Amino acid sequence: MAGKFCVTIASSRESNDRVTLGFVVANAALGSDKETLVFLSADGVWAAVKGEAEKVSIGAPFAPLKELVDKFIAGGGKLLVCTPCLKKRGIEPDALVAGAAPAGGAALVEWLAESPSCVGY
Amino acid sequence: MSARPDWHCDSVFEGGERECGELLLELRGHFQALPGGARVLVVSASPGAPMELPTWCRLTGHRLLEAAHPHYLIEARGGAAQ
Repeated sequence: MAGKFCVTIASSRESNDRVTLGFVVANAALGSDKETLVFLSADGVWAAVKGEAEKVSIGAPFAPLKELVDKFIAGGGKLLVCTPCLKKRGIEPDALVAGAAPAGGAALVEWLAESPSCVGY
Repeated sequence: MSARPDWHCDSVFEGGERECGELLLELRGHFQALPGGARVLVVSASPGAPMELPTWCRLTGHRLLEAAHPHYLIEARGGAAQ
């Protein structure tokens, strides 16, 4: 893959639009051969909790969130979830979908320290 | 849908109405299975395709040979000419 890319998503339940758009753009980056990280923080962490993505579908032309997340993970995307944000909401790490991992700020900083671009939703 | 141009191609990718990330991820999957130099006729009804597909080619190194929306002829990277 040529280069890295990052998408940060800070809302999911609060804005179904934003979380959907975030994963659409992440899949566009992945599809364009970029090694892609999605970093979920704040309310965005819900997108990686088992059973939550199934509740989000903003309608055509957008695919349901579950499909977008599944394709992102299956396509080799990296999905990290802010650990303190999980803790604040009482979400245990084993509640996360397969392919998502809890991580702190250092993981995000390391990814961005090599100068990849990042877009936030 | 306008008539399919008479371009030589090895395979056809039907993008249908798919947009943005959904289209590009599936396109990547199609190209991953191809040898360098293979020519693909991409058919995409997306209004964004005239900008999106040339950009995707610049990002990935595949080569846009012809474009006449909704038809695009793309050569997989790694061909003899590259």
